[in-house]
Amino acid sequence: MKKLNIIKFLIIIFISNLVESFVAPYLFSFYVSLPLTFFIYSAVIYNFNRNINPIFSFLFGLYVDLISANPFGLNAGLFIIITYVINSYANAFKLYSFIQICILFGMSSVFYIGFKNLIINLENFSYLLLLISFLFNTSLFLLLALFRHYFPKILIKYD
Amino acid sequence: MSRVAPTLGTKFLYVLCILFSIFLIYSDLKLKWFGDIKNFYQSVIISTKYVIETATIKPFTYLYQTSIDKNELINENKKLKLELDKSYISNFIISQDSKFFADDETIKFFLDLNNLKEVFYLAKLKYFDYEMYLCCNKHRILIEVFGDENFIGSVVINKDGIIGQIINANSLNEVLLLTDANHVMPIVSGNQFCNARGSGKPGIITCSYNNKLWLNQVFIGQEFLSSGMGGIYPKDLLIGRVGEIRQVDENVTEFDINLISSPETTNVFGVFKIL
Repeated sequence: MKKLNIIKFLIIIFISNLVESFVAPYLFSFYVSLPLTFFIYSAVIYNFNRNINPIFSFLFGLYVDLISANPFGLNAGLFIIITYVINSYANAFKLYSFIQICILFGMSSVFYIGFKNLIINLENFSYLLLLISFLFNTSLFLLLALFRHYFPKILIKYD
Repeated sequence: MSRVAPTLGTKFLYVLCILFSIFLIYSDLKLKWFGDIKNFYQSVIISTKYVIETATIKPFTYLYQTSIDKNELINENKKLKLELDKSYISNFIISQDSKFFADDETIKFFLDLNNLKEVFYLAKLKYFDYEMYLCCNKHRILIEVFGDENFIGSVVINKDGIIGQIINANSLNEVLLLTDANHVMPIVSGNQFCNARGSGKPGIITCSYNNKLWLNQVFIGQEFLSSGMGGIYPKDLLIGRVGEIRQVDENVTEFDINLISSPETTNVFGVFKIL
């Protein structure tokens, strides 16, 4: 059974937030937003084999709000929603192909970016940003999934 | 092992957490409850970064500099750079002399009258969230002012012009930039007065006017100056030039003003103590 190391997770989230802040100014010029912290959080919850408590998601969201200088409660709320979706459909995901899952996560990223912009950037809300981010993030997920499946392995794993 | 879908009790907990999150967002955005926590966190991060740099990178840098015997030269260069930046700001004030003070006598009288030591206080940039500046409406910088007074409300300039005003003063001073969506500044061009609001976009503020009230239409490239009517900013300083003009409806026209000053150009600022 996979165990969630909270300290390690906090450090990973902190580093991913730093990377996100570093990369974001370059991507903004191409109307792309890459919510790396949100992706890493979603990926960990998705891969974890037990349901996550909503209070855990809430506290984690507050932590992300603090380190990313966003209004308190913004990431907390969005993290709770994505945790609920993943927990509810965890078994259904096993029936989907990885392309469908990539599109689902791409859509969840658009929801995240859109909702975040609605709260902190309403005057400059851009559908173009949402559309291009959706395409970019979905392609990125697909590439990562393909890479994981087709990258040459040293050891052969039998499931 | 399969995961069990959330039960009714868990769903209730989810809803409760979401409602609490909404309450937190409201209390942060409207009531500013968490401003101190955020400032404290930023201060801790800046201090930690400084301590880590001092404890790890700086000793090696220092040893390296000592070994090649250029340390003094570098410090001298830094001092000269600071003086140069200071002179740029002084030059800006001198070039706008008539707008701040009539002559040297007036400056002296003004300083004596208000018990001030300096015409302006030098400040250094300490934190600039460039990501937030590019993406969002909240445009703020943190500066350290070389002076031991309360600078809340003071005007911040650089070598090109006005940058913004100080809204929070703790160990560091928080500057509300002209482009912040919450910032409003009265500006003027001829007999056309307008309250320019920060657009949330870098380098742009916006104004709107009623066509029936303004006799002359604005044109691209028209210069707008500070009107001094807010009682914060000095009068008649060039703020920017008209960029894009949009017709909102048949009566209202909105236009962008491209600012001549930008917080990105320098890391040294001048602060005018507000009286």
